[in-house]
Amino acid sequence: MAEERQSDSTMREAATVWRPATDDDMDVSLLENSLARTPWERMQANDDALRFADSLRAAMVKRNAKP
Amino acid sequence: MQNLSELMRRLIEAQVEFVLVGGFAAVAHGATLVTRDVDICCRFNEANLKRIQKALAGLRPVHRSRPDLPLALTPEPCASLKNLYLKTDLGIVDCLGDVLGVGDFESVFEHSLEVELPFGNCRILDLEALIRAKEAMNRDHDRMTVRQLKEIQRRQRQS
Repeated sequence: MAEERQSDSTMREAATVWRPATDDDMDVSLLENSLARTPWERMQANDDALRFADSLRAAMVKRNAKP
Repeated sequence: MQNLSELMRRLIEAQVEFVLVGGFAAVAHGATLVTRDVDICCRFNEANLKRIQKALAGLRPVHRSRPDLPLALTPEPCASLKNLYLKTDLGIVDCLGDVLGVGDFESVFEHSLEVELPFGNCRILDLEALIRAKEAMNRDHDRMTVRQLKEIQRRQRQS
């Protein structure tokens, strides 16, 4: 019973954290993280994300390639 | 390999007269959606177009619609060009003579702000005009960007 109450409480806490982070389908925490950076750092983060996406895509192509 | 930041550095160091618009401008303002190209609004005169050519030298710039056509500007096409859609080794650069929802280069310049980057200052379309431009484009990813830009604008007004 006590365990159940603890679990309910944990779920409620998680829900209150989760809700503002995805307010209006927008990940506010990501946005806040970006706003804490300078414009130049934001541009470089975009480049890092692009390169990471490209390397993933290349890995998938390689994986799916016929031997 | 994509490197939009390096493209920016080259454009600034070649003293191209331009305003950063589009998705990369949204990124500079704080939007988190990843973009794959650099969109600039620039003055379409011969001197400025030659600066663009100089900035992209060595990156094998070609016209996106005609990849067999390398960028080789001569005075004649410079006079008639309105837009320039380019592909380079570092990524796509779209050079626009005007921006939907904002206007020609003069209007875009009027609605821009100066941002300090490590290698020089750069003009970026301001939030309000960028929102107008993105609303005018109205594609799926533009609508998502607009929502983020409006949230950024709301926070700026609060602080």
